[in-house]
Amino acid sequence: MLEIKNLHVNVDGREILNGLDLTLPQGEIHAIMGPNGSGKSTLAYVLAGKDDYHVTAGSIAWNGEDLLGMEPSERAAKGVFLAFQYPMEIPGVATMTFLRTAVNAVRKARGEPELSTPDFLRFVREKAQALRIDPEMLKRPLNVGFSGGEKKRNEILQMALLEPTLCVLDETDSGLDIDALRVVAEGVNALRTPDRAMLVITHYQRLLTYIVPDRVHVLSEGRVARSGGPELALELEESGYAEFGEAAA
Amino acid sequence: MDLPVQQFTTKAEQGYLDLFETAQEALPGARDPFVSDLRAAAIGTYGRIGLPHRRIEAWKYTDLRARLTGINPLIKADGAEAGDADLAQALGAGVANLSAYRLVMVEGDLRADLSDLAGLKAAGVEAVSLSRALEKPQAWLKEALARVNPRDDDPVLALNTALMTGGVALRVREGVIVDKPIHLIAIDGAGDPASTFTRNVVIAEAGSSAMLIESFESRRNLQRNAVTELRVGAKAAVKHVKIQRDSAEAFHLSTWLVELGADARYEAFQFSTGAALARNQIYLRFAGEGAAAEICGAFLARGRQHCDTTLLVEHRVPHCVSREFFKGVLDGDARGIFQGKIIVSPGAQKTDGKQMAGALLLSETAEFDSKPELEIFADDVVCGHGSTSGQIDDELLFYLEARGIPEAEARALLVQAFVGEAIERIEDEGLREALRAAAADWLGLSSA
Repeated sequence: MLEIKNLHVNVDGREILNGLDLTLPQGEIHAIMGPNGSGKSTLAYVLAGKDDYHVTAGSIAWNGEDLLGMEPSERAAKGVFLAFQYPMEIPGVATMTFLRTAVNAVRKARGEPELSTPDFLRFVREKAQALRIDPEMLKRPLNVGFSGGEKKRNEILQMALLEPTLCVLDETDSGLDIDALRVVAEGVNALRTPDRAMLVITHYQRLLTYIVPDRVHVLSEGRVARSGGPELALELEESGYAEFGEAAA
Repeated sequence: MDLPVQQFTTKAEQGYLDLFETAQEALPGARDPFVSDLRAAAIGTYGRIGLPHRRIEAWKYTDLRARLTGINPLIKADGAEAGDADLAQALGAGVANLSAYRLVMVEGDLRADLSDLAGLKAAGVEAVSLSRALEKPQAWLKEALARVNPRDDDPVLALNTALMTGGVALRVREGVIVDKPIHLIAIDGAGDPASTFTRNVVIAEAGSSAMLIESFESRRNLQRNAVTELRVGAKAAVKHVKIQRDSAEAFHLSTWLVELGADARYEAFQFSTGAALARNQIYLRFAGEGAAAEICGAFLARGRQHCDTTLLVEHRVPHCVSREFFKGVLDGDARGIFQGKIIVSPGAQKTDGKQMAGALLLSETAEFDSKPELEIFADDVVCGHGSTSGQIDDELLFYLEARGIPEAEARALLVQAFVGEAIERIEDEGLREALRAAAADWLGLSSA
């Protein structure tokens, strides 16, 4: 269970989150929607532990443990995973090397044995195939020269390999065509289990057709302005975010 | 080069003159007029110029005159034991295990017992100890010694010519494709402070192909002056690698003199992690049309290490291509220097020359000085240069940490990636992996 209470976050001297409360039980998927600048991505980064996002008040607990006192890598070991809106390109690091380093770092921190090379390769191949990722892509430097869709699929591959329990997807649908969106959504849905919680951040309802949430929260000015069932997303699709402080497009 | 009048001769400066005075009768080739004349002329050049200092443009960042406070006595080879285990220990397993024809020099002395002279001979390569060759130099050696892309304005090179003792003379016969790399290993283990002057003369005759790896390792206060002269004949291809892991107290002064014939191919890589002060000089001259040279390298320095890479590429003929690509990592109070000079002579049309140097600074006090120089006297050329210096990107670091990789390991991975951009250019897989492992070793990463 993720419990966020009265969260205030300051970035570059500006208060972006302003008393946010949110409870996400295990086994559920909650969508975070809201106009640009409402604090959606800030919430994602704060959960993952990015520097320069200063929590000035409030708390975040994951399964009863205080996340805010942990380094980003410790959070990952505790099961927190952020699928980035803009995955980083790292020339000079082969994707496969990166994946193996990450998987083994997390396994080590969780007290599990590191995977042998053949076991790791089998594991990656199986997950990559499900996401229709070309094995050749994994030999290339991390995300370098990948298309938008390839980068997002690579994020979901990492999610599958690291076996997190709290998945935060930041605008995973941005820059994807409908086919790529379907593949990514299938990958996410395959990870939907009773012991896993997911927070799906999106500006548009489109993604929620494929990843159906249990609850939808609308952020406005750094806090949850409204919560409801999946029908809330459809309603927003009709009405836009006008009532949440954004001019209708 | 304008040489300012010097006020006085430093102790170290005089020390080299004394060293020569005392040693000259016992130097190899002392009774051969060709060799002794060469040495006499060289010590004259050195005496005239003195040790290089910061007011000489090419030595602006490396004030050798100020840094060298005393001269160590000449090294004495005492036939030290150096088995396979010692080599593996000294070079690192990756480099030691490279499949190659080994030529091992212990304290400057070419050791037949540790070298694969028979294998080289069978492969079509003539290899002799330079000390021996100097006693009665053959015609081909006379034509090459101090004549490959020669210079009379470099006092460090002149000192080497005056005092050269160890090293090898190699000749790859016309059309011979050497099937394995030739690995020249210079080991100067623990012992008293010493100076060493080694000289390699390598002739790759027309149409031949070879890979030459030079490894330097020491565990004492060593003042090393190493020169390699390399003539690459028409349509010949040479890959030339240096792996420098001299001791933390060592001075490593290295000069490569390279001359490329028509349609020759030359690929160089210099990997440098050792020595208190390293000066890696390459003088390269295109002597025939249609040749191409790629000079790459990686240097890693920390503490108070000083690592200087200075290149001078002379396009004297048309239709040649040169590329320079270096990456450096500097931590602590380390200082890295890259000077890349390209000179395009009048008439050297269709020259294509590019250079790129980048450094990653891991501390506030590390310093990188990069000085590209282009002197172009022809009008139809493409030349360019670039230089970067920066710190680890926090966004990349966060991405790796968010995947569970602890900060220290994530930083090391990013540093490795930075250096990897240079190392990846090495075609030979075994060598590439060995250097990747050596970089990981420097970073304290497991190389798996």
